[in-house]
Amino acid sequence: MRSSVCLGAMAPLFSLLVPLSALAAGVDKTHGVAPNLLSHYVPLKTASSPGTWKCLDGSKEILWSSVNDDYCDCPDGSDEPGTGACPNSTLYCINEGHIGSSIPASRVNDGLCEAECCDGSDELPGVCPNVCKEVGEAYRKVQEEQRKIRKKGSKIRSSYISFAQKEKKRLEGVIETSTQEIAVREKEVERLRDLVEQSESLSAAALEHRKASPLYETLIAHSNALKSLQREHKKHLEREKELGNILDALRTGYNPNYQDMAVLEAVRGWESLAGLPHINDVGKEEEESDEGAVVKAEEEEEEMDDDEWTAEELEKDLDNLLKTDYVSLLLEHDKHVNSPMTESILFELSSYLPDSLVPQYEAFRDTLVSWLQMLGVIRGGVAQENAGEDSKLRQKLNDAEHSLRQANDEKRKAEKDLNELFDREHYGAEGEWKKLEKTCLEKEVGDYTYEVCLFDEARQKPNKGGQTFSLGKFRSWNPDVQPDDPAYYTKQVYNAGAKCWNGPNRSVMLLLSCGTENTIHTVAEPEKCEYHFTGTSPALCLPLAETAEGKKDEL
Amino acid sequence: MVRPVIFSGALLLLLSIPTSLGFKSQDFKTCAQAGFCRRGRALASRAQDNASWKSPYSVDSSSISVSSGEASFTAGVKSSLYPDVKFGLDVRIHDDGVVRVRMDEVDGLRKRYDEAASWALIAEPKLSREISWTVGKKDVRAVYGTKKENEVVVSLEPLRVSLLRNGKEQVVLNGRSLLHMEHYRTKESSRPEGTPEEGLDEDDAQVVVQVKPNAWFEGEVEDGYWEETFGGNTDTKPKGPESLSLDITFPNHGHVYGIPQHATHLDLPTTTGEDPTYSDPYRLWNSDVFEYLASSPVSLYGSIPVMHAHSAESTVAIFNAVASDTWIDVDHPTLKSTNTHWISESGILDVFIMPGPTPDDIFKQYAKLTGTSALPAHWALGHHQCRWNYISTDDVRSVQQRFDEHDMPVDVFWLDIEYAEEHKYFIWDKKMFPDPVDMMHDVEALGRKMVVIIDPHLKRTDNYPVYKEASDLGVLVKSKSGDAEYEGWCWSGSSAWIDFFNPGAWDWWRGLFKNTSQGDKWSWVDSTESTYIWNDMNEPSVFNGPEISMPRDNVHYGGWEHRDVHNINGMLLPNLTSQALVARSDPPKRPFVLTRSFYAGSQRFGAMWTGDNLGTWDHMAVGISMVLANGIAGMTFAGSDVGGFFGNPEPEMLVRWYQVGAFNPFFRAHAHIDTKRREPYLLDEPYRGMLRDILRLRYTMLPIWYTAFHDANIYGIPVLRPHYVVFPKDEAGFSLDDQYFIGDSGLLVKPVVHKDVTETDVYLAEDQVYYNYFSHYAYRGSSKGKHVTVPAALHEIPLLIRGGSIVTTRERPRRSSPLMQRDPFTLRVALDKVGYAKGQLYLDDGETFSHLEGNIVWRQFVAEKTAKKSKTIRITSSDLVSQNPDAAVEGVSLTKYDPLNAFAKSVESVRVEKMVVMGLGGKPKSVRVDGGEELVSEFTPGVAAEGKKEGAASVLIVKDPGVSIAKDWSIVIEV
Repeated sequence: MRSSVCLGAMAPLFSLLVPLSALAAGVDKTHGVAPNLLSHYVPLKTASSPGTWKCLDGSKEILWSSVNDDYCDCPDGSDEPGTGACPNSTLYCINEGHIGSSIPASRVNDGLCEAECCDGSDELPGVCPNVCKEVGEAYRKVQEEQRKIRKKGSKIRSSYISFAQKEKKRLEGVIETSTQEIAVREKEVERLRDLVEQSESLSAAALEHRKASPLYETLIAHSNALKSLQREHKKHLEREKELGNILDALRTGYNPNYQDMAVLEAVRGWESLAGLPHINDVGKEEEESDEGAVVKAEEEEEEMDDDEWTAEELEKDLDNLLKTDYVSLLLEHDKHVNSPMTESILFELSSYLPDSLVPQYEAFRDTLVSWLQMLGVIRGGVAQENAGEDSKLRQKLNDAEHSLRQANDEKRKAEKDLNELFDREHYGAEGEWKKLEKTCLEKEVGDYTYEVCLFDEARQKPNKGGQTFSLGKFRSWNPDVQPDDPAYYTKQVYNAGAKCWNGPNRSVMLLLSCGTENTIHTVAEPEKCEYHFTGTSPALCLPLAETAEGKKDEL
Repeated sequence: MVRPVIFSGALLLLLSIPTSLGFKSQDFKTCAQAGFCRRGRALASRAQDNASWKSPYSVDSSSISVSSGEASFTAGVKSSLYPDVKFGLDVRIHDDGVVRVRMDEVDGLRKRYDEAASWALIAEPKLSREISWTVGKKDVRAVYGTKKENEVVVSLEPLRVSLLRNGKEQVVLNGRSLLHMEHYRTKESSRPEGTPEEGLDEDDAQVVVQVKPNAWFEGEVEDGYWEETFGGNTDTKPKGPESLSLDITFPNHGHVYGIPQHATHLDLPTTTGEDPTYSDPYRLWNSDVFEYLASSPVSLYGSIPVMHAHSAESTVAIFNAVASDTWIDVDHPTLKSTNTHWISESGILDVFIMPGPTPDDIFKQYAKLTGTSALPAHWALGHHQCRWNYISTDDVRSVQQRFDEHDMPVDVFWLDIEYAEEHKYFIWDKKMFPDPVDMMHDVEALGRKMVVIIDPHLKRTDNYPVYKEASDLGVLVKSKSGDAEYEGWCWSGSSAWIDFFNPGAWDWWRGLFKNTSQGDKWSWVDSTESTYIWNDMNEPSVFNGPEISMPRDNVHYGGWEHRDVHNINGMLLPNLTSQALVARSDPPKRPFVLTRSFYAGSQRFGAMWTGDNLGTWDHMAVGISMVLANGIAGMTFAGSDVGGFFGNPEPEMLVRWYQVGAFNPFFRAHAHIDTKRREPYLLDEPYRGMLRDILRLRYTMLPIWYTAFHDANIYGIPVLRPHYVVFPKDEAGFSLDDQYFIGDSGLLVKPVVHKDVTETDVYLAEDQVYYNYFSHYAYRGSSKGKHVTVPAALHEIPLLIRGGSIVTTRERPRRSSPLMQRDPFTLRVALDKVGYAKGQLYLDDGETFSHLEGNIVWRQFVAEKTAKKSKTIRITSSDLVSQNPDAAVEGVSLTKYDPLNAFAKSVESVRVEKMVVMGLGGKPKSVRVDGGEELVSEFTPGVAAEGKKEGAASVLIVKDPGVSIAKDWSIVIEV
């Protein structure tokens, strides 16, 4: 051990005979003084013969001989830069051949040779060799390596910046096109709205009367009920998902060795409900068969009536059904009640259908109608009643409004993207991170593969089957510093991931440094469910010219 | 009969305490749920209700046999309940006046467990050759002591043993006639209608008929004799009833202390009698209690059946050498007396009575029985940083780096169970700890150490060499049949436990810790000679076992049931591990083993901590009284986890907790795996700075702590001394357990354990000046006792130095304590009212056993007036070793001591760099080393030690007197 060697070597240095004066009596008055303070370390020019000296904080005047005498006189510790006698002082090592540096008093004369003091000036003469030549060379070598990486990385980085520039152009294009489209659409909407208003104002009073129809009111009530149900249903689905996550976390996270039978029962219950194998058996089954241990949940065939909607239909079509224009429907209904023609169903069904299905439906309808006409089942080209005319106009208006919304959305999105592109809190001032949006980096550690898709989400994926957990969504860059701090882009926070059993929501701190590749080096979980990833990205490799200056200042 | 009132009372008590959320009361028995305890309490209750109650036990006077030349006698004892059952009594007086009383069943159906004392005692005690017994008609007596002040009286009819001092009863056994040793019987014979089994002789069958007539004493029914089910586990009790009930009375002592470990006050609150604090008795049954309550008689991890009884007149103590489940009721029938009732499940009666008469005498008497606490390695007194878990070798390196970046001292980094692959202890999880030896070398490069956990449960898999070897050796604990390996669940899943009662396990275990290859035998080559050990879960904790431990009918070496040895079982692992650490290096180094479970005698082998506490103010407070209680029972190297194991303490609480920890003998920060990281460097300012100051303060005071540990090692006096120990005659201090003294240094500390405190009261028991350690403010006590108000804002610790003390510190901050070896000393001289002060300093290499060969420095510093009327003060340093050659090191008489021994030489050049003298009467005219030149000094006027004034004391700071710490010198301060 280096320490014992040094301690051993120190012993003979102590004099055995002379009364014990300060061990550092021979220490030079300026030993350990930082270059910028050297001018302060001279005795005060006074007439008195034993020179005096003032503590740097001005609090006390002491004898010049008390400087570096291994006894702390000054409250600010400034009288002992070279001995460590004052707890709050530092010693400056010149480290000729390398870089000078300061160490705290606690490391001065402690028998250990500090790496920061390659010249050995932290210990009494003879204890630590001067190794600055070697240390300096090694340091410069490392610096050179890093410079090379940086150079290569910064080239890649500039390609990211050009990507951002292209993206900028593209987005600007999109904005321009959609702006034009919006203008056209707005006019169209205005025209149609005038028409509809004219048409509908005629029958406004009649409409009010019709709206009082019990059928309409019931329909509205049903619709409201359905909306509420849908809302509640969604809430429950979310709850169920959350519960599932909690139980999954419990299943994988609980200590199966612990004696808590309540937990074990909960885990087994969940496993049977979700059709999962028992967690303790997962590994075993892996070993036994290559097929993997995951048993898919047995989808029980639910019995249901033919006209009942399936879960998928519910999910897809319910929204559209609820978007029905009930006023139009009311008008349709009138017509339907007054003249029981087949037409209304066929022709106006489109108003019940989701937009996406309308074109197919219309094609089908036209074919069907022509067939029916041919067969004489229905009449073609029958004069439309006013109500029908109203409704058609309204439909057109709806379509036009829809298109306008789409155009607006498109524009807004493009504007948002454009803003984020050079937002320092997002893709960086030069947009250098845009290229990496949703780039997924992986690292396998133990039984899991950890993945972070930049600016999106981090995940933990088990290698032997089982549930993938979200470790969090992208939240922000380094929240501890301002965006102009160089450390800002060295840290990303992903949070609000799946909740841990008996713990917090999972989260990730991604620590990045300059490297020629986008990669994750290490994954650790220093606290339960709080992950630290370290990795590199060329997007952090600033061009050499910029950094060189910064570095020089530091030196 | 079951006393349901008590049961529900206990439940209510548990439920009414907010911190009880985690404690699973259903996991642990109450007295009412343990058959023998129920019987014991019922016996006491019958005795109370029966005015003509009389003990059935009496000594057969014809059988008394007194040894010649030794103070011991034996006699037969009969029980009127079972005239045919024979008991034997054995009473001895040791050469130091300790009385040992043993009673066992003779020629019984089985043998009661009688080995408990042999595991606790250091040696068979020497009997007195001077004291002699006088056999009379009614009793056997012996009088002894320098003034013949002690008398032991063994009354024959009924059997009653009492120790008197100056005619006053101090300790009485069976004074309340609750003594009952349940004799062995067969299951069939114990049933009234049962028929004698084949091979059973007529006499046993006779006993059957007499069950009912004994109901006045034993109760109407055979309650829980043969089987007991608790929490789904059935105890088969193959030996049937074998419990021991014993009342121990202290008729003239109103305070009892000890019987750790319980989360309660030092001055034990009552469990019976009028309005008891607790409704259940104190229990001794080593248990892994999850989130234990901060005030409860529930048994915790370790057991020391030692109780001090104290009054202003005298201190006495008993050591009840029993290892089975033991419940102890405490009651004060009057303010000046104490009744205790000890109910044990099995084992013989084996009680040591220590006559005192002072607390210090008790410590010496107890230390003579079970040994003193080991002198720890010096570094072990530094700051320990632990967490469940540092997750990788790089994690450990990074924690070390952060401590150094923030210039916070730390000596030891700890690894909890997750370092071990599948919790196979010793076996590194190479995924996260790929380079363990390199990691330890990185830590050791700064003089630091690592402590790694080794738990007693062995994963039952043949690819685990430790389990495989233990299994092959046949040294694992057996299940109740006695042939199959016992299997239980713990961290490692299906596990087995080494039976350390089996001597066949000893050498093998010692060999495991060698860090060099041992041929065919497995050894821990992935470790270093600076890897130290933490033994946890050694109660033993068994997740699926009854009361989270082993079934009582498990079988140990020699055929003893687990119930017989449970409370001893826990200490054997750390004891052997400590021996293993000594054996692994040559020359040997002092071991360090932290244990959670312990028993009487554990102090010889290492340190303990108070287990899995909670991060609450309540737990912070009770941690202090628990450490004090452990200390007076010998286990003085103790501490509670700083920060609390469970929970996320807010910064204020953490700061206070570090203040508590820094004034514990064992100072470790630890945290549960579910907690946020809370290493001191992680806090924001101003808290971080406060923690750095606290850590540094601990390090400056290491010479004081080490000296106190030396005292504990040679005299058995605890490192932390409660008020009743320091001021045994001051009634007002008998219940104090929130302030205490550190060794004989004169430092009095009262850690703050409450939120939002800015000042606190400190009790001063004497008419003396006490100085604030930091501000030098002089407070005045009073001979009647007095409370003074001491500032205690968050950055302040109420720490006073008693007038008359000299303490030695090292004030240069270092990263770790071994790096302080060459640092100079500062002497603080706190003058008392007559201008006197005294202190001591013990030093050695702190690591090896070379101190046993006299390689030590032990100095005394005295400050006194040069003449009675003079104001001049002379401070001298003299050698204490030559004054006490037979007491300087533990157990060795230094026949030839060289003041210039190798160690003394190595520190000869270490100087006193500063001297601070508090309470001088005025500015000195001169300060000089006797016969030397004038020294540089600085005087700040203030209150003098003499007189009655309070306020900032006068302070003289002497700069660099240039005297060696290892040599004689004197410094004269002429006032």
